[in-house]
Amino acid sequence: MSRALSIELRRSAAPGSALILLAVGVALLYLVAEAEWSAGWMQLVMAQRLYLALLWPLALAAGAWQGRRERQSNVTELFASTPRPRASRVVPTVGAMALTIVAGYLLMGLVGGLAIVSTAHYLPPQVAAVTAVGALALVAGVWLGMAAGHLLPWLVTAPAVAVAGLGVLLTIPAATRPKGWLALVFSPIYEMNLPEDYATVPGRVSVSQAIWLAALALAGLLLFASSGWRVRVAALLPVALGAVLAITVMPHHDRLVVDAVDPVAKELVCARDEPRVCVSRVHEGLLPEVVPQAREALTVLAKLPGMPSRVHEDTTTYLPYVPAPRTADVALVTIRGGKTGDLTSKIVTGVFARSYDCEKGPDWADTLAAAYWLIGRTPVAEEPDVAADALIRWRELGKLPAGEAAARVTAIRDAAVGCK
Amino acid sequence: MRMVSAAETAPTTHPWAVHAEGLRVRAGRHLAVDGLDLALGTGVHGLLGPNGAGKTTLMRALATVLAPAGGKLSLLGESVDGRADLRRIRRGLGYLPQQFGFYPRFTVREFVEYMAWLKEMPKAAVPGAVQRAIERVGLADRAGKRMKTLSGGMLRRAGIAQAIVNDPEVLLLDEPTVGLDPEQRLDFRELLRDLGVDSCVLVSTHLVEDVVAACTDVVMVNEGRLVYQGTPDDLIARGGTGDAGDSPAERGYSALLRRHRAEAGR
Amino acid sequence: MRWLILYLRSRHAPMALAVAGACAALMWSLWLVTSTTRQVGAPMVVLTVLLTVSALTTTLVSPDGALDRTAALAWAPRRAAHVLAAFLFVAGLLAVTLVTPARFSPALLVARDTAGLLGLTALGATVISPARSWFLPLGWTLAAIVFPGSGNRLAEALTWQGQDPGNSPAMVTALLLAASGLLAYTLAGPARRAMTEITV
Repeated sequence: MSRALSIELRRSAAPGSALILLAVGVALLYLVAEAEWSAGWMQLVMAQRLYLALLWPLALAAGAWQGRRERQSNVTELFASTPRPRASRVVPTVGAMALTIVAGYLLMGLVGGLAIVSTAHYLPPQVAAVTAVGALALVAGVWLGMAAGHLLPWLVTAPAVAVAGLGVLLTIPAATRPKGWLALVFSPIYEMNLPEDYATVPGRVSVSQAIWLAALALAGLLLFASSGWRVRVAALLPVALGAVLAITVMPHHDRLVVDAVDPVAKELVCARDEPRVCVSRVHEGLLPEVVPQAREALTVLAKLPGMPSRVHEDTTTYLPYVPAPRTADVALVTIRGGKTGDLTSKIVTGVFARSYDCEKGPDWADTLAAAYWLIGRTPVAEEPDVAADALIRWRELGKLPAGEAAARVTAIRDAAVGCK
Repeated sequence: MRMVSAAETAPTTHPWAVHAEGLRVRAGRHLAVDGLDLALGTGVHGLLGPNGAGKTTLMRALATVLAPAGGKLSLLGESVDGRADLRRIRRGLGYLPQQFGFYPRFTVREFVEYMAWLKEMPKAAVPGAVQRAIERVGLADRAGKRMKTLSGGMLRRAGIAQAIVNDPEVLLLDEPTVGLDPEQRLDFRELLRDLGVDSCVLVSTHLVEDVVAACTDVVMVNEGRLVYQGTPDDLIARGGTGDAGDSPAERGYSALLRRHRAEAGR
Repeated sequence: MRWLILYLRSRHAPMALAVAGACAALMWSLWLVTSTTRQVGAPMVVLTVLLTVSALTTTLVSPDGALDRTAALAWAPRRAAHVLAAFLFVAGLLAVTLVTPARFSPALLVARDTAGLLGLTALGATVISPARSWFLPLGWTLAAIVFPGSGNRLAEALTWQGQDPGNSPAMVTALLLAASGLLAYTLAGPARRAMTEITV
């Protein structure tokens, strides 16, 4: 058994398929949208799940290619004279395919991890669940493909099942609309795109998906190992049972993953010494970058009385809308992705900005003018007309006597805090 | 002095390794073996017959690949029918099909090893048995080569190696000498004689010379029936100077076939 | 005529054509059942082209390449004709749908993708082996459909299968693949080592 497995690991389509999947997966990670998963491990494994859109059909094709080997190599006659039953004969083959494909998928995650390992310190247990579901999806794909290749041993089977697999993945959301949770049961890629930094996948979602995929894998295994119609019909049983069970386990709400927020990831973690600088746990690895810039910003702010003496990450989430707590002595700053960029001016600007749900308060040009007057630099803004406006007001501030200018800036700050 | 093999000392529970009575086997819709009576014991049996005589179909039935359509067939004392424990029989079988299929990416050793695993050999015995089988067919220096790189004759020998790896009690070789050069055929005859000491070897071939040189027994079939069973010497004796053939054995073969056709035509 | 029929049968062409037709018919009926519009979606068109081209892959190799090579007649023009005929078959098959309730169009998209994918397949058949020649067309096309590039010429050229028919980088890629595939297959023929591994 172990010898047969080691032969299959070397000589079947397993190593080649895993290498192809690994190469395609790594290429997707680094070429399509690296910024989307640079925040942390959860974002990385969710990106991996999203790329199953391509990897899953390829796994089906790889399975189908391997599944027709016996017919293609014309060994059915020879093997028919051997005592080992088919069910036992296929064990090393399915084992080798599953092992290498899973290894390829895990390796893809590790190669992606190289890019974030220096900043991503937070590793929630859900990461393992999301990865496990992804790996299980690939195993189910490979085994279903093997079954297809065994039952329909033609060359065109492999590309055809790949196309069918992609078609299924792409049509699941439309087919189950408006029940988004139903799409989540059957599609391992659903709601995996553009994860927020505090994103997570609820445990029950992963459990439900795992049940469905395990049922699918079992059906593929039965179909591949079968040598009679009775077993093939019986393969429908796990599919039906798995679907029912998975639907039962899945919470019947929409936007389960999109709306999920990991409270632990969102918790603030502070640097050791004063003044206090805190970021969310998911961005903990960025603290060494954030702290000096935050302290520089605090020094700038300290030029005026009554300004914040601490910097916290703005942990506001918009889906659902949960604003970060705002107090007068705390400057909030938004940190996104794996790169912080220039935070100092962002922190100072944030102090003079009204909150997201405030309708009144200072407009953006006033905010910028006040912030950059304090910093002592020309204001910069992405929108040209805002930048022009801010520049005019910044110059006005510059012309005023220092005391009067300080009073105007303090007024802007008060308007922002009080939403006036 | 020769070693006394295990098969000789063990009590034999079945008088014949292969026993067929009125055996009928279909090849597609056509009844390729039709009422064949055959009893084979230990030794090397050469299976002769013209093209389309049903040799390969008979081989396939004996290899338990095809189920008999009628009559009785017992292998190693076990009756082969719908309820038979084919697994037990198959552990004692070695089979080289006419169209020998193989996994091209496997090395010779790996393929023979894999076949040993399929034949449910005890795990501990596999490496030794594989090495022995490869050495017996003279492929030891090619054991690490991929199957797809082998020439026709080497493939045939690899096929023989996988057939004998489990020291089968019934060894079925369907045209094993195709592609072998004269020297290899001599070696192969030697191997056959060796194998025939304690197992029942059935070799299907068109080369009458091979049968005479290496077989203890000649089986001849035509149109799905047994035409003749006897010793090579007897086969030679059947041939007269007027029969077609370049050797005494070929003349004997021609004579038997001609007589059978004459009887059938009557 | 006799020669042509025997040639087609030796390449398992009747089976391959039937499979290709069945794939197209399946996609056609899927669109008819699931959609309300008459114009078939571009991804569906591309995938259908991919499937029909893959189905014709088996005809690119003969059962005995060595025997073919000993033939006195010139294979090169016949191989070229074979590839061109495959192109006409796929394009023609989808052109027929223009008069049906599910239209596989625009014609330029069908022609571009058929030419490019057939060229890529022929190239694979020549360089790797016919049995494996569908690997690259499949992986590439699926990737191009799932993650279409846009905005810069390189991305558009790399994901040519899913681009608009008027997109010039995509057209250039397709024509390059078509030309190199046709040329390679015409001059060299299917890779030798894999002659025996292909069946249907």
